[in-house]
Amino acid sequence: MGQEFVLLISASVFCVGACGFIIRKNPLIMFMSVELMLNSVNFLLIAYSSFLNSLDGQIFALIIMTVAAAEVVVGLAIILTIFRTRHEMDVDHINALKG
Amino acid sequence: MFDLATVFEFTRDTVIFTVGITAVLASLGVILCSSPIYCALYLISHMICLALLFLLYNAEFLAAVQIIVYAGAVMILFLFIIALLGGQKEAQEHTFERSIAFTFIFTLLGELYLSATVGPTKQVEGKIAPELFGTAKAIGLELYSKHLVAFELASALLLVAAVGVICLAKFSFAPLKRR
Repeated sequence: MGQEFVLLISASVFCVGACGFIIRKNPLIMFMSVELMLNSVNFLLIAYSSFLNSLDGQIFALIIMTVAAAEVVVGLAIILTIFRTRHEMDVDHINALKG
Repeated sequence: MFDLATVFEFTRDTVIFTVGITAVLASLGVILCSSPIYCALYLISHMICLALLFLLYNAEFLAAVQIIVYAGAVMILFLFIIALLGGQKEAQEHTFERSIAFTFIFTLLGELYLSATVGPTKQVEGKIAPELFGTAKAIGLELYSKHLVAFELASALLLVAAVGVICLAKFSFAPLKRR
């Protein structure tokens, strides 16, 4: 399968993730959309490391996975803390930091 | 009559096409389901499709890491949080801001498609032996020789994240008063 197909799949998944991040209000699903975007970039890096016969893309994808795991853990802890104090999960209602 | 290499190539292309389309459909399911538990299940199927694609593009170590870290650890964490907070459905309303968001996303998609199909990229000759490509040995050799600084920084990042989560979970904050 050619390189265009990889690019199209990756672009589609990235746009779906960006769309989900914008239109959803549940912070858990917003985090899942961020995961979608990170994963699409990972797929592109790995496919091109195979096309270009170089391992740098795979190392980059491994580092991205580490960053994503750390980000998810911290983000879920923050969501849990907000839920403990507010008892609701809607990002439109979390406006205590608003100026 | 049939050349074996041609049949192999055709089968590989078909599998890549099917799994890629399935990955896109599963990602659509993530953002269109209203219940968070179904979103998590769709995301798990998306991760598994991506792991298959990683395998098809000679990245067997990263496919295993994808299954273990993403479809295993991260998604179990998501499911625990959903079970803890209760998976309420959210109401989908159609507002003006949402149509602006859709316009923005479709513009982005069109631009990406145009830039993806505009021409071929240049092939570069690497120096990795093809039978070693993507294995844990090759990744380890590359990671511990060329990319040692990134590896150490990633370990420091994980340590900082662990300490931060312990701080967030241990000390309870007083409830906020609404103005």
